[in-house]
Amino acid sequence: MTRFLKHNGLALFFLVIFLAALAGQALVGHADFNHQQVAHQDGTVSLSRYLTSSSFGVDVLENWQSEYLQFTLFILGTVWLLQKGSPESKRLHKAGTETDEEQRVGEHASPDSPRWAQAHGVRRWLYSNSLLIVMASIWVASWLGQSITGRIAYNADQLDHQLQPVSWGQYLVSSDFWDRTLQNWQSEFLAVGSMAVLAVYLRQRGSPESKPVGSPHDATGVEG
Amino acid sequence: MRATFAMFVVYLVVIVAGLAYFIALGLLAQ
Repeated sequence: MTRFLKHNGLALFFLVIFLAALAGQALVGHADFNHQQVAHQDGTVSLSRYLTSSSFGVDVLENWQSEYLQFTLFILGTVWLLQKGSPESKRLHKAGTETDEEQRVGEHASPDSPRWAQAHGVRRWLYSNSLLIVMASIWVASWLGQSITGRIAYNADQLDHQLQPVSWGQYLVSSDFWDRTLQNWQSEFLAVGSMAVLAVYLRQRGSPESKPVGSPHDATGVEG
Repeated sequence: MRATFAMFVVYLVVIVAGLAYFIALGLLAQ
């Protein structure tokens, strides 16, 4: 058990704080929703009704999509784009998808390499891009979910104000959809860019996200 | 590695279940 906790601490820690934050969001989101209902002289809803509402759904998914877009772009961008001095970047001569030898695929795979890294053709291509494919798929699905739930929540608001509901296509070009989308994107892009640049000159002893404390500022692609 | 693979599966299940839940409730509310 202790071994399990030690070997999976990172995944367990983030899973626990994810569930705690989601529970907190559900509770305060419910309180805020009912506050708005009272302000509009509408009836309040139970917590279980709020948890099955599109209002809760869109608030969750608009954040999910931006996080998965952030990692999708980070995974894809760091294949070709470099940042001198950053531990988030590859070494300056390594831009691109690299050789089979460097990536240890096909005949360069070792006996303990994943089976699909030793394979050829479609299987190797799929496995070589599997992290990007899965992260991008989660981004697309959560952005789609944001648009579906966002439209329902938006239309509830429209009807409350005696305004016409909108179709899904109309919602996709609405200011509400793009406001929810871009307010999340901007913060993710700033955070990723600043992480790549600040880590050139700043350090965190012991963290693999940082270079070793004594590593020179121009050392690129070095992890602590 | 069996425990680590279990964590991998747990994360995928949480993500897929979350997406399916919210998309389904949005579609059912149409």
